[in-house]
Amino acid sequence: MKRHLILFLLCFQGLLAQVQFEARVSKTTLGLNERLRIDFVMNIDGDNFAQPSFDGFRIIAGPSQQVSQSWINGKTSFEKSYSYFLLPNQKGTLVIKQAMIEYNGQIYKTQPIRINVTAATEQPRDPNDSQVSADDNLYLVADISNTNPYINQPITVVYKLYFNNIGIRGFEELSKPKYNDFWNQNIDIKQLVPEEGMFKGEQYRYVVLRKTVLYPQKSGKLTIEPLSLNIGVQLPTNRRDIFGRVILVEDSKRVSAGTKTINVKPLPETGKPLDFTGAVGRFDFKAIPSKTTLKNGESLDLVLSVAGTGNLKLFTLPKPEVPNALEMYDPVHDEKVNTPLSGMTGKISDSYTIIPQYKGDYVIKPMHFSYFDLGTGTYKTISSKEIKISVLDGPAQTAEASATAGAGKNRIAGVEQFKYIDLKTELTAREKSVFFGSDKFYGLLFLPFLLLPIIVLFKKKKEAIDSDVFGNRIKMNNRLAKKYLSEAKKQINNKEPFYVALEKAMHNFLKAKLHIETSEMSKDNIRELLLSRKASPEAVSHFIALTENCEIARYAPSSSATIQHDFDKAVAIISELEKQI
Amino acid sequence: MKNIFYILLLISQVFYAQTGFEKGNLLYQNGKYEEAAKAYESVLDGNQESVELYFNLGNCYYKQHQTASAIYNYEKALVLDPADKDVLNNIKFAQKQTIDEIKVVPKVGFAKLLRDFTGIYPFDTWAWITVSFAFLFLLFFMGYYFYQAVTVKRIFFVGMFVILLLILMSLSAAFFEKSHFDNERPAIVFAESADVRSEPQNASSTTFVLHPGTKVYVEETLGNWKKIQLTDGTEGWIDSRSIKEVKD
Repeated sequence: MKRHLILFLLCFQGLLAQVQFEARVSKTTLGLNERLRIDFVMNIDGDNFAQPSFDGFRIIAGPSQQVSQSWINGKTSFEKSYSYFLLPNQKGTLVIKQAMIEYNGQIYKTQPIRINVTAATEQPRDPNDSQVSADDNLYLVADISNTNPYINQPITVVYKLYFNNIGIRGFEELSKPKYNDFWNQNIDIKQLVPEEGMFKGEQYRYVVLRKTVLYPQKSGKLTIEPLSLNIGVQLPTNRRDIFGRVILVEDSKRVSAGTKTINVKPLPETGKPLDFTGAVGRFDFKAIPSKTTLKNGESLDLVLSVAGTGNLKLFTLPKPEVPNALEMYDPVHDEKVNTPLSGMTGKISDSYTIIPQYKGDYVIKPMHFSYFDLGTGTYKTISSKEIKISVLDGPAQTAEASATAGAGKNRIAGVEQFKYIDLKTELTAREKSVFFGSDKFYGLLFLPFLLLPIIVLFKKKKEAIDSDVFGNRIKMNNRLAKKYLSEAKKQINNKEPFYVALEKAMHNFLKAKLHIETSEMSKDNIRELLLSRKASPEAVSHFIALTENCEIARYAPSSSATIQHDFDKAVAIISELEKQI
Repeated sequence: MKNIFYILLLISQVFYAQTGFEKGNLLYQNGKYEEAAKAYESVLDGNQESVELYFNLGNCYYKQHQTASAIYNYEKALVLDPADKDVLNNIKFAQKQTIDEIKVVPKVGFAKLLRDFTGIYPFDTWAWITVSFAFLFLLFFMGYYFYQAVTVKRIFFVGMFVILLLILMSLSAAFFEKSHFDNERPAIVFAESADVRSEPQNASSTTFVLHPGTKVYVEETLGNWKKIQLTDGTEGWIDSRSIKEVKD
């Protein structure tokens, strides 16, 4: 009866009380090397507990079940829990999914839980921990050669595992170190060799696990994500076996090297050459042509090489500038670089194939290669020598070479050649006055057009003179009179031509003065006309007497004195008549 | 007395210039190109020039592999005489030494035909041709005006109008050539590497890079910048210190 009562009470309570089922975690943010405890707690006695799949975790302990029931002041409390210890396998946000129980035909679920797993943290020492001896005797250390390098200055990271008094079974990499903003080269380690060295003032044994050469590619604070390892260790215990040997306990332990920060200095701006392409180290630069004298159609190789120590793979070589008469093809790049711990050494080269197109001498200008010397902290520039290339034959010559020519004959082909200087010159002043557009130019241009009206006027005048027929005749007769008179003077010693000329002179004089024709010339007519012109009758009679005298004297003998007298008389009469008419 | 002194001074200068030229020739003959160039330059300093002087100077620089200076002097010679065969021959040699290879895009169409025709003579020669045509016109007019025979008169009359047309033609050719001469401003790149930018600012992006000896045409000037056009028609702005204008 009593049992029934209790059962009844229990049922009643169970009905009254709220069913609680939840998941509790020890922390929601933990490092990769830390443990997580998760409890699934309920206040009822549920059945068929189904654990969630712990994706991303490894169960290192559990499940362990625990039931507790208590009566306090008549109140009953019941608690049942399943506990697990988990270790995260990866970084990031992990989700622990729902767990399920069944109670009175009903299914209850927990809330999913988000767990943030960060990089491994250094664990505080716990003196009561059973793994104390492992913590104290196992260290992973990242040795960085230089935490304050220049850009492109090589630094090395060496991961060493120090251990003392414990055995190592093996290790497993949990997270690989990441080198963002670094150029990195891993140096393979073929066999792990334990060595002895001092660490924290004590003699330790160590193994070099990993060596990496890094070239920072960016200035500023750069971080190296740590390396995390899970190491199987053998811990000695105080117990000994029957042979007196120490009994070893096997365990696993996580170690991480911790995040490292490297402060990268930028290269100085002062004295930075213009053609600097980022080479840092110590180099030698050479530009070597395979040949410098070649025939048409041959090619030459120009090899630019940089040898030395430094970031050989991380910069570009200078490009040669060649005259456009040389055809240059894209280079063949070659790298012979070793990367030991001290940084890259070796040689890189660009080989250009150059084919000349025309005959002549060409110059490839010196090339400059600049690098930052870490030893002195300054920029250095190496210049190659000027390369002279002479091409012996031109393409023009080969085109005619096949033409048939007698053997042994020296054919002279019309080859284009560089002309020699001119030996004679006529120097002129540099600032020459420009003729076009000057006053002189316009003057000369318009002068013919200005002359046109002058010529027209001149011709008009001439025509006017020509058209005056009457005046012209007078002028002509007057001229003839003078002409015959002067002829008469010349013939003064020859009687006959003298009188002919004199007569003509007098006739023409009359023609000019009286405006008459030869047909009208009779003595009466002449007299009448002369008198009507108010000539003195005396002069008229003298004139007529003289004309008659001319006719007679031509045939009659006369002395030279008479001739002279007649001439003088004629001149006197003509001048007298001239005045009177 | 003073006049005589001036005349003497002038004569001595001419004499000196001539000797500078001859001295240069002698040095060139002996292969002393650098000193020969100096001798020729001294003639230029005396404010005198000639096609041959620029040609010889260009040869000196070519022999010293100073391509930019060589092309610059050949271009100067070509300004004085655009048809000099020796200069045109040697400038080809110098141009093969340059680093930039820029295509010469041929101009086509009516403008090219016109330019080909007017380019036969420099504008000053066209001016003289115009003047001589004007006098010929006067002669023809006189022939027309004074000759009595009708056929001859007619020939002279028609000839007059033909010559009038020729005058107009040669005059416009002279104007065309003059404006072409004034507007065409060739320049040679002298800087080891000259950045040509899309805008006249240092901040603007570099479109392409030119090397010594390349011929460009200056179109505009803005402060320290010059707008240039290449022979293939590409345009850009260049620092005025990196080029040297041929007609300055």
